[in-house]
Amino acid sequence: MSEDKLPVKNESDIIFVRSFGRNLAANAGFGIVDQCRITTAISELARNAVVHGGGGSVTIKTIQNDKKGIEIICSDEGPGIVNLELALKGGYSTVGGLGIGLSGAKRLMDEFQITSGAGKGTTVIIRKWLK
Amino acid sequence: MEIPLLKIEDFLIVSFQTELSDDEIDKLREDILDKIKETNARGLIIDITALKIVDSFMARSLSSIATTATLLGAKTVVVGMQPAVALTLVELGLRIKWNIQTALNLERGINLLREALKSEKDVVYE
Amino acid sequence: MTEKEEFVEELSGLLEDNATELKKQWVKEMTEMGLLEKLSPLEIEQQSTAIYDTCVLTIKTGMYEAAKKYAREMAKKGVLEAMTVDQIIMGMLKLRDVYGRFIFYKYQKDVEKLYKVLGVYEPLANRILSIVALAFVEEREMKITEQQQAMLTLSTPVLQIRDQILVLPLIGTIDSARAAQIVEQLLNSIVDTQASVVIIDITGVPIIDTAVANHLIKTIQAAKMLGADTIITGISPANAQTLVTLGVDLSMMTTRGSLRSGVKLADEMLKLVVVEKR
Repeated sequence: MSEDKLPVKNESDIIFVRSFGRNLAANAGFGIVDQCRITTAISELARNAVVHGGGGSVTIKTIQNDKKGIEIICSDEGPGIVNLELALKGGYSTVGGLGIGLSGAKRLMDEFQITSGAGKGTTVIIRKWLK
Repeated sequence: MEIPLLKIEDFLIVSFQTELSDDEIDKLREDILDKIKETNARGLIIDITALKIVDSFMARSLSSIATTATLLGAKTVVVGMQPAVALTLVELGLRIKWNIQTALNLERGINLLREALKSEKDVVYE
Repeated sequence: MTEKEEFVEELSGLLEDNATELKKQWVKEMTEMGLLEKLSPLEIEQQSTAIYDTCVLTIKTGMYEAAKKYAREMAKKGVLEAMTVDQIIMGMLKLRDVYGRFIFYKYQKDVEKLYKVLGVYEPLANRILSIVALAFVEEREMKITEQQQAMLTLSTPVLQIRDQILVLPLIGTIDSARAAQIVEQLLNSIVDTQASVVIIDITGVPIIDTAVANHLIKTIQAAKMLGADTIITGISPANAQTLVTLGVDLSMMTTRGSLRSGVKLADEMLKLVVVEKR
């Protein structure tokens, strides 16, 4: 199992972490469409961290219980999300579509957890399992 | 990074080869719009065959390029979407405004534009 | 060393020293029960030794994870391939009985010690034997799932009936996993064959549930992204009712009653796109 904490502070970081995620997913045995879903979800979260969170970091690793899977943790120390429910419904109309990214990532993955609060930064954990 | 804009008859073709950053997309949009004005292009074909991922940001970017190009008189078609990308975009959710015309490949895209332009000729504006 | 550890060491020592005898007994009883019918004498010898030794070693060392891993590998290599799942479980239970009876025999003269040893042995044995049995069973299930997956891939026929028209006849009850797989295959086919119209015929699908309906909608939308139109044919009155109840946006679905009328529509749609030959 490999784990790496990667910075996401700018555009090229976003591009890097999704490449990294794609490779890990491919090696773990995910098919092409799942690789696309995972990479896209990573991209959404990473972009949120850069655009709304003032930069953050991403951890991508393979995980195992009775099946193999992939887990991504994206966190930033930004202003946080005040109304999580609204954000997840895609209700935020801020520039850059914070809500779209979050609800999108949720739809693409099997598991989605988010912790956030005003002034407390945001941490999102997503997981996908091999079937 | 230079992204080549090709002119075929009265159409412009641009191929997205690699991952593009925010700034690169902004620059590309400017270049495309300038070129449309310069050449009086009637159609714009955006080839995304090489894109393995289209996230909400890229989808928005494509949408804005298409909208602006249309305003300048060039109908836009996106061609070459990969199946995995199509499925992921659908799953990402329809809140991404995907109002862009799509075609399977370059040839179909050109045919589509031809048809669209042809039917326009029949409409007479007073 | 604790008393328990002493017993474990003594017990595993005994089981090792008497391995030949006990293994023979175990194989004899399994044969009597007809569990080993499908195995050759050589296979019986090799495989019973492998498992017996693994169990004793695990009793001795307490390394359950290693036992699990080792059993998995044996299963992957095809050990016990010829036995059914319940035969495997019966076989492992037999081994537990053989060990148990041996312990009784060994300590029959010292009842107090016997109870103590049994107290140590029983939970150990249960744990080890279930780990080993489970490893084989799980490996077996995985193989079956893999085979099923392979079969699924083969059994999703996407037919190209004209230059640009694909037909996907769906038959039977479709679960979510199969539906997802069908969607992927269809989209890949669209690109591979450069189809402009896809006809999905669900005449042979008795029940559509929410999941399948959603997959259907996803397919229509994704196909559209790829530049292909989709026609759904053969929706039964019952399924139509389901779709309406599920709140499916029917305005985005092009439907026809029969596959035949679907093909007719597809032909008409294609005539609208005139390709001039140069």
